[in-house]
Amino acid sequence: MATTREAGSAALLRLCRADEIGEAQSRGFDPDDEGQDSLFVVRWQGQLHGWRNACPHIDGAPMAWRRDAYLNAEGTRIVCHAHGAEFVPDTGLCVQGPCRGERLSRLELVVIDGELFVTS
Amino acid sequence: MKIVGLESLVFAVDDVAGASRFLVDYGLAPVGVSDRGGRFEAMDGTAVVIARQDDPALPRPPVPGCRLRKTVMGVADEATLGAIVAELRRDREVRRLADGSIESIDDSGFVIGFQLTARKPFVLAGEISNAPGGVVFRPINSLGVPPPGSVIRPRSLSHVVYFVPDVVKAEAFYVNRLGFRCTDRFTGTGPFLQPGGSLDHHTHFLIGAPPQMHGVEHFTFHFGGPSEMISNGYRFVEKGYQAFWGPGRHILGSNWFWYFNSPFGCHIEMDADMDQHDASWQPREATASADNSQAFLLKMRKKWYPGPGIHENGDYA
Repeated sequence: MATTREAGSAALLRLCRADEIGEAQSRGFDPDDEGQDSLFVVRWQGQLHGWRNACPHIDGAPMAWRRDAYLNAEGTRIVCHAHGAEFVPDTGLCVQGPCRGERLSRLELVVIDGELFVTS
Repeated sequence: MKIVGLESLVFAVDDVAGASRFLVDYGLAPVGVSDRGGRFEAMDGTAVVIARQDDPALPRPPVPGCRLRKTVMGVADEATLGAIVAELRRDREVRRLADGSIESIDDSGFVIGFQLTARKPFVLAGEISNAPGGVVFRPINSLGVPPPGSVIRPRSLSHVVYFVPDVVKAEAFYVNRLGFRCTDRFTGTGPFLQPGGSLDHHTHFLIGAPPQMHGVEHFTFHFGGPSEMISNGYRFVEKGYQAFWGPGRHILGSNWFWYFNSPFGCHIEMDADMDQHDASWQPREATASADNSQAFLLKMRKKWYPGPGIHENGDYA
């Protein structure tokens, strides 16, 4: 279960230590205990980016093919493993596949003392 | 034309090791697999073949990004192979390959191959239900639920589903040129197609779709029955694979289904107990919707009895 803390007015849900996600790696999270990862985080060129685990092609379609496997083999694209849509890791823009031109839904991430949080 | 069904599907992958593990975990048997790819067989020898995406021997995809590179169908005899060559050469190139098979392209840009079927016949009873008044029963003291650790293997490559930009043209190719029959149809979406040498409800299903979706929706293997298939699906989920839809049972075709994401740019299904039809069957027509696609959808409940960790009023959400 995720823990919560307040920072300003936004509630923060703790995901993991920020350095647990290496360059060109991805990881899924289920902070609301829904039984399926509702979001995932990728590190791309040093920066962490959080995205809803929902392909814009089919509303709510989960994207990984195996737990935490949201990227192509080279780690250069986020891939929806339902129908092969490919997204730029830092902008969420679909550049190939059924939802070309659409974007993933971004989630705001915060790192405090090396701990990674998502705002809820 | 005695086309008996799918023989193999060839995919280009960017991670041979990951895709190999995926297919073995699905239940297929690796044959001749290296770091460049290989073959993953069901019980009858029908297979998925994978190769590195930079392999120059791979046929070209129908559209960039599609990982399916070839759909190989099996035929019963040389006469059928010859008839296909003669038919397709009327308006397109047909290549004879070194292994005796032929290769061409369908009207949606998918590379297709035909070979004398190498399906290995086997006899192994499928799932049997003990029904009062029934005729066939499971052997006494045999169990309906596959025990933990039991081996579950796909039996045969079942069907492939294409997204096509012109579904009327796509259907006409398979029906008019290759002798497929429409068994059922989703109005405005597309037909379920059965080749002349098979009784399966469908080996192909065509879905009319916008050009940017051109490619593959899913492919699947038949399992021995719903209990085996669903047990295999739960094992697959426990190994970390992502389910998409299921387990449930379709209306058209009656096949039990469970769909998963895959590293092949499309879904993969596990299926069981599909209807069989002959030429006397009259195709049905239905509008495509979730209601018309699933007879029912199953949901696991982990806690249903009173006990430790369960609310005193139960867990009936």
